[in-house]
Amino acid sequence: MPFKLGHQDLIILLLAISTMLILSRIVAELGKRFKLPVVMGELLVGIALGPTILGTLYPEAYDYLFPLATNPKVGYALDGIFSLSVIMLLFVAGMEVDLPLVLRQGKTAIYTGLGGMILPFFTGFAVAWWLPDVFGLHPEGQARLIFALFLGTALSISALPVIARILMDMNLFKTNIGMIIIASAMFNDLLGWLIFSFILSLGGNGASEMGIGTTIAWIIAFGAFMLFVGRRIINRVLPWVQNKLSWPGGVLAMSLGLCLVCAAFTESINIHAILGAFIAGIAIGDSVHLREQAREIIHQFVTNFFAPLFFVSIGLKVNFVENFDLVTVSVILVLAFVGKVVGASIGARIGGLNRNAALAVGFGLNARGAMEIILGTLAYNAGIIGKPIFVALVIMALVTSLTSGPLMRRFVKDNGEIKPSPDLR
Amino acid sequence: MSAMDYSKLKNRSSWPFETIGVAVAFSPRLENILSEAKILSRQFNASLILMHVGERTRNKEHKLSDLMQKVGLDEKTVRVVWNEGEPVQTLLYLCKLNVVDLLILGAMRKENVLQYYMGTLARKISRKAKCSVLLLTEPSIGGSKFKKVVVNIAESPKTIHTLDTAIYLAKQVCSKEIIAASETHQPGLAMTMADDNTVSEVSRIRKDIKEQAHDKLNELLLACQGGEGIDISEKQVAGKPGYAIRAFATSKKADLLVINSPDVKYGIIDRIFTHGMEYILEDLPCNLLIVHSRIQA
Repeated sequence: MPFKLGHQDLIILLLAISTMLILSRIVAELGKRFKLPVVMGELLVGIALGPTILGTLYPEAYDYLFPLATNPKVGYALDGIFSLSVIMLLFVAGMEVDLPLVLRQGKTAIYTGLGGMILPFFTGFAVAWWLPDVFGLHPEGQARLIFALFLGTALSISALPVIARILMDMNLFKTNIGMIIIASAMFNDLLGWLIFSFILSLGGNGASEMGIGTTIAWIIAFGAFMLFVGRRIINRVLPWVQNKLSWPGGVLAMSLGLCLVCAAFTESINIHAILGAFIAGIAIGDSVHLREQAREIIHQFVTNFFAPLFFVSIGLKVNFVENFDLVTVSVILVLAFVGKVVGASIGARIGGLNRNAALAVGFGLNARGAMEIILGTLAYNAGIIGKPIFVALVIMALVTSLTSGPLMRRFVKDNGEIKPSPDLR
Repeated sequence: MSAMDYSKLKNRSSWPFETIGVAVAFSPRLENILSEAKILSRQFNASLILMHVGERTRNKEHKLSDLMQKVGLDEKTVRVVWNEGEPVQTLLYLCKLNVVDLLILGAMRKENVLQYYMGTLARKISRKAKCSVLLLTEPSIGGSKFKKVVVNIAESPKTIHTLDTAIYLAKQVCSKEIIAASETHQPGLAMTMADDNTVSEVSRIRKDIKEQAHDKLNELLLACQGGEGIDISEKQVAGKPGYAIRAFATSKKADLLVINSPDVKYGIIDRIFTHGMEYILEDLPCNLLIVHSRIQA
């Protein structure tokens, strides 16, 4: 019998997708009134529709609409859509990494970015390596190393979309501080996703087949090819695509097609598909020929179709009540706040900012948002972490995103200026 | 090279151009460059120094002397400096030593990939000079015309000096039009707008960004000196800094593009991940004046 969706399966699949899209949009719009991030609404919808609420209260309804375990055909179809969603999300995240901006901001952004990565990475790594019992885990050998590397990376990443939104709300978007925060977040994202791709390849069968050295060499070779050769080719082709082909169909097909080709390539060499998508995003987003309108269309398409599906799907897979562990959540929250705020602030101070500006930068970069959730989901799917740590990471992402703006306000005036600090340079 | 007294350079205004230096490279375009230098030194009432880095030979002396006579440069009033050493560093040293306000160099509009990454003399000097630099893309015996001048209004404390210098230059060379163009580029904006904004919110955000840029530009135009009597218009151009102004200058068929000197030291990495001034140096849209305001940004 051919493995294809039947009439009833298709109906269920379409109903599941439409339910996720419509409900997440309604909740996001309601959340907007309270200045809550969209991703929070999407997660709440997932929790409501998943095993946490619907699965507990109305298990038949949950099994009918989201038969991830009971109907493998619908389960595979949904899984394919969720995988595509995360690839697309990483692609648009890459599109916003503006490497020249990091260079333009100079040493302040580099020091801040490095500070915001090094301290959280090492605190996370150290706790996971020496005190895994805190999380109720006893990993040995390579599993211990992978877990420690993952926790370090998970704590050091930032969420550019949330940060950009906070900066806009605070009139800091176009200021020097705003640019430093944006550039540092980009720097964090770039390094963070590179390291995470490596960790994922360690976690799967890839690195054990290829060897760690070969995996690293492939990552560097692919990144170098795309950023040096790929970017030049894109810069040649893009003007022609935008001017000679249908608008915006041509540029959409080219961008998304390239994203999927690169994702397929990295997946085929046993490095996760997200790396290909992320690097393809950087190469396309960096092009001076990419029209702002094209950039917005790609963002709208991904943010309003793939992002809700992905973030709702998180709640569908995990029971947040059953897997909530206060100790794990508390430890991860403390590590996240201390590592990022202190690390980024120290970096900003070394980079020449005064105390209040450095603290504003530290709290700004503390927002983890959607990126942390994506990272946690991928690690959970790869078996690097269990459900309690995954739940803790999601909570940490939400708490850091919600508190980032109010905590920054302590150091920033309403007009976007930094409040004077005693040791103003 | 011995230690120098830089006190004459400190806080020295970027205009007027009292001393003009010319890098003499004995290229086929030397006659044209000397002719341009003569015309500009008259227009700015500046003294002229010709600087050659390399071996001083009879042949070269004769050739330079012949060319000076040919274009009408008086060998008694024009100083000629010969110095051996690494070309870029020596030329920069000579500029500082002689308190050069404006260094004139001939430059190709576009270089091949290898030349671009390795860096030619003109490009290297442009990145490092501690005085203003004028790159002439098509020097001519009759002198370049600077009728249409585009000034890049970047968000930097240097910009006011750059604008003042551009106005001074425009007056001296009888320019007809100055366009003060600011670049609007907001990394992360598309992502933020895609998130949860209604149509009216998106329009408001866009309008706010435009108005803020407009207000800043107006403030700057009000603060600049000696703008009376010159047609100065303003323009906002969207795109990545450096690339947007290059494209604008090209589309406007500008005769001269005026920009700030770089805030950071540019290296090979800045050419690989091209940004800012590197976009302009990569493919010069017209003659280029890099104003060094001698203040720290």
